[in-house]
Parts: sequence; C-alpha cells; structure tokens
Amino acid sequence: MKNIRKLFLAAVLILGLTGSAFTEDITIKGSTTVYPVAQATAEKFMDMHPEVRISIQGGGSGFGIAAIIDGTTDIGNASRPIKDKEIKKALSKGIDPKAHVVALDGIAVVVNPSNSVSALTKQQIKDIYTGKTSNWSEIGGSGGRIVVISRDSASGTFETFNKLALDKERVRPDALLQASNQAVATTVTKTPGAIGYVGLGYLTSKVKGVDVNGVEASKDTVRSGEYSLARPLFMYTDGPAKGAVKKYLDFVTSSEGQRLAEKQGYVGLK
Amino acid sequence: MRKKIGQRIGFSFLFLFLLITLLSLGTIIYFIVAKGAGAISWQFLTQSPKDAMTSGGVAPAIIGTFYLILGSIAFSFPLGLACAIYLCEYSPKGYIINIIRISINNLAGVPSVVFGLFGLAVFVKFFGFGVSILSGALTLGIMVLPQIISASQEALLAVPQSYREASFALGATPWKTIKKAVIPPALPGILTGVILSVGRVAGETAPIIFTAATLYKRGYPNSIFEEVMALPYHIYGLMTEGTHPAQQKEIAYGCAFILLVLVLSISFLAIIIRQRQRRKNG
Repeated sequence: MKNIRKLFLAAVLILGLTGSAFTEDITIKGSTTVYPVAQATAEKFMDMHPEVRISIQGGGSGFGIAAIIDGTTDIGNASRPIKDKEIKKALSKGIDPKAHVVALDGIAVVVNPSNSVSALTKQQIKDIYTGKTSNWSEIGGSGGRIVVISRDSASGTFETFNKLALDKERVRPDALLQASNQAVATTVTKTPGAIGYVGLGYLTSKVKGVDVNGVEASKDTVRSGEYSLARPLFMYTDGPAKGAVKKYLDFVTSSEGQRLAEKQGYVGLK
Repeated sequence: MRKKIGQRIGFSFLFLFLLITLLSLGTIIYFIVAKGAGAISWQFLTQSPKDAMTSGGVAPAIIGTFYLILGSIAFSFPLGLACAIYLCEYSPKGYIINIIRISINNLAGVPSVVFGLFGLAVFVKFFGFGVSILSGALTLGIMVLPQIISASQEALLAVPQSYREASFALGATPWKTIKKAVIPPALPGILTGVILSVGRVAGETAPIIFTAATLYKRGYPNSIFEEVMALPYHIYGLMTEGTHPAQQKEIAYGCAFILLVLVLSISFLAIIIRQRQRRKNG
C-alpha cells in the first residue's frame, strides 16, 4: 500500500508541474503533404529560437483549415486553396484566413533512360496508369510492355499525382507499388519498360524525365505555373501573422527555409 | 482402443492450437526485436527526432507515453477501486446492481476510437482542456475503467467471507474491515487488472489521436495542458507521413521495440509487487 501511495504522489507531483512563462507556443495542424516542410523548418527554427516551442499535428488539409476557423490552431496547413464555403464560415465567426504559400509541390514523370519516349500528354499518362494503354508502341515508343510503377496510397506524392494526373481514377491493380520516391527512381533505373513518378527533388540523371503536355518538369516551370503536375502548398493564419508565428513563417519562406523544403523533395519559391 | 485414439487425436489438436498461439506470439516478438533492436541506442532514447524524422531519437514520445500512463492510471485506479468496493461490499444486492454491472461490462466492449471521439467532444471541446495530456489521460482512464472495476470486483469477491466475519466479530466497522481485512488479500488481483490496463493505455492509438497526441514536438511538456508525442501515434506517423519512408520505417520499428519493452517491464514490475504482496499475505 505504501509503495502505491508513493507512486500516486509522485504522479500527481509530476503532472502538476507547470512550466515557465517565457516560452511561446505555436500549434500547427493539417495537411500531411505540408507536414514535412513544417517539421523540417520547425526543427531549424527552434534551434535558432529556443524560446519558441512548435507542435505539429497532422489531420489533412480540411482539418487544418477547420482548425483555423475554430481558432484551435495558430497555423493551418493545406495542400489546396481554401474553398469559398470555408471562407464564408470563417468570416461568420470573425476569422479572417490569410494564405501563405510556403512551397511548391511538383511531380516528375520518369522513364528508363533507354526509352525513346520523351514527351507524353496528360491523357496518355492517365491512360497508362488506368490501364488503357499497356504497350509503348501505342504511344510512339519502340514497343514492349509498359511496367507501371506507382506509390502506395498512404503517400502524399501518390495523392497529388492521383489528383492532378489521374483525376482521382484508380491506378491499374497490377501496378508495382513502391514505398518511397527513392525506390521508384531505383526501379525505373533498373527496368527498361518502366514508368514512374517522383517528387521533383528526386529527378536525377539516372532516370529520364518526360515532358508533360510539352512542358519539361523543372523548378522553373513549376514556379512559373507552366508545368501542370504541380500545386502550391499553404499555411493559413487568422489575419496577418503576428509575433512568433510571423517570425516562423518568415523563416519558412526565407532562402534557408526554402532550402529545407527542397531537401524534403518539394520545390522552393525562389 | 478406439476411444483412446480419439482422445489422442483430440489432445494433439489442442496441442497444435497451443503451438499456433505460441508461434504467433514468438513471431511477433522475433520480428519486432530483429527489426527494432538495431535502432536502439542511447541517442535514440534521449534525443528529439531530427532531420525530418530520419534521425535522432524518440525521447519526447517515450516521456509522453509515460505521462499518459501515469495520468490515466492515477485517474482510473482510485475511481475503479472505489466503484468495485461499493459494488461488492456496500451496495444492496438487486437488479439495479445487475444493470450497473452489465453496463460496466458493455463499456469494456466499446471500440477505442469511440472513446477517442467521446474524449474529443467532452474533454477537449466541452471542458476546454484542448488537445492535452489531461484530455488524453482522462479518455484513456475512462477506457480502462471497466477493466479495472471488473478485475477489482473479481479480486474482492474471491476474498473468503470468513475474513469479513472474523473482522466484524472483533468489532471492526465495515470500512475498517474493508481496509484491513478485504483489500490486502485482494490487492494482487486488483494489481493484475491495473497491469493489463497499463499495457492497453501504452499501446492504444485511437483514443489519443484526437485528444492528446501530436506528430512532432521537441522537448518535454511543461504542464498537463500541453499535447505530447506518444509512442503508438509516433509509429503511426512515421509509417504514414513524411517523405523519407525508408529511414522512418526503421525508427518506427525501434519505437515498436521500445513500446514492447516498456509494457513488458511495467508488467514485470507489477508482477514482482504482486508476488511480494502475496507472500506477505500468505
């Protein structure tokens, strides 16, 4: 009994401890696509500003924007722009959502370097991934079966690709699923008839990037908006950012922050 | 002769099933250890996640899980024990008590994600505790309450009636009887219930997703109103978020290994306490 009483007392003591008032807390919620950018930049930011404590939760874009509307977060992450309906709802609650573009998300379609195909239309890509096209000769290649490589459905890259290139249609069931950008690139390098897609950061000389609708996938074309398999990533705040939140957002969009975003496989703003 | 053969076949089937059970347990432990033990190092146990969750450690998640265990048990153990004492020792026997018992047993069957939504609605939003250790600990506490009540009831009911009668015969009040004659011999059984609850609290993900957990935070919480990282949710996060799945998977297995060791060592500690108590009573 005595031991238990001691344990209980210790628990109450530890749980009751309240911390110093000098720290500033920032809560970030929302999109899992933006999460890696937020996480990597938050780490560096806290190294430079130890007095700021950042906590990052997932939940998806809808959740992030809802949290801004509810006032339960400082920053709401979203991989899509806020909808009119959400703006109306926010305004009715006296919330004024402000968008901050923190990075760009671009996806390159890649084939084996030995493949003669160097340009595809979005429709052709969709046909390949949904199973309508299954031989390279059908789309101007030198023949041979197309080996379709995709990502598992938990992947943010898959989500983006599925939405932007496939209009949310199902990927053919016999597609080879890989768990990372790296794994897709490696498989495409080794398999002559393969086609895959990777975050722009993983486009190396070992694979061949394919032009989509006549536009080459590059940081410049993503930034200029010409390349179609790309989208901006947002962090939302209620009104203009203030205090520590502003300092953090300034850091995210700084060249140092953008370098970190690129390290995570995204395209920086500058 | 025929009877004997039938019996032998029956027994060998039973043995086979036992073997399958043991084998699945063994396989789980083998895989977690084989894949996770390599990730463990001093740095892994004492540092925050680094480089976008690809290196560094999981210390905040370990501490977070520890806080959630402490908080939920501190809440549910006294409450559950009090409930059990009332139901076993004080309450008049009758159909109302039976209804209460059935309700408690049904509560034990409610899926954990439902407790999570309940915690979100009640503790996070209604009481305004926010996503915090407090909300999570209360949610987890309520989740394991039925388990603690049932185990405590079993243990109290197993105490021979003669103990109580002897105590009353010495002129002890009911409360004194419960305190000195009933609870001590029942304690090992009660602790078993708590042990099982600790294992559940440590491993559950669904109840804390909405109430207590965060994917990334550096350092340790300053108060019970802060959200925390927790091992099971960190595993979930590592496997589903982020852009470096290969490295994250290794860390996830490391977390699974820690979780396994944590639960086993808490169980082991409680077993020792239980044995010691039993010897003292014996």
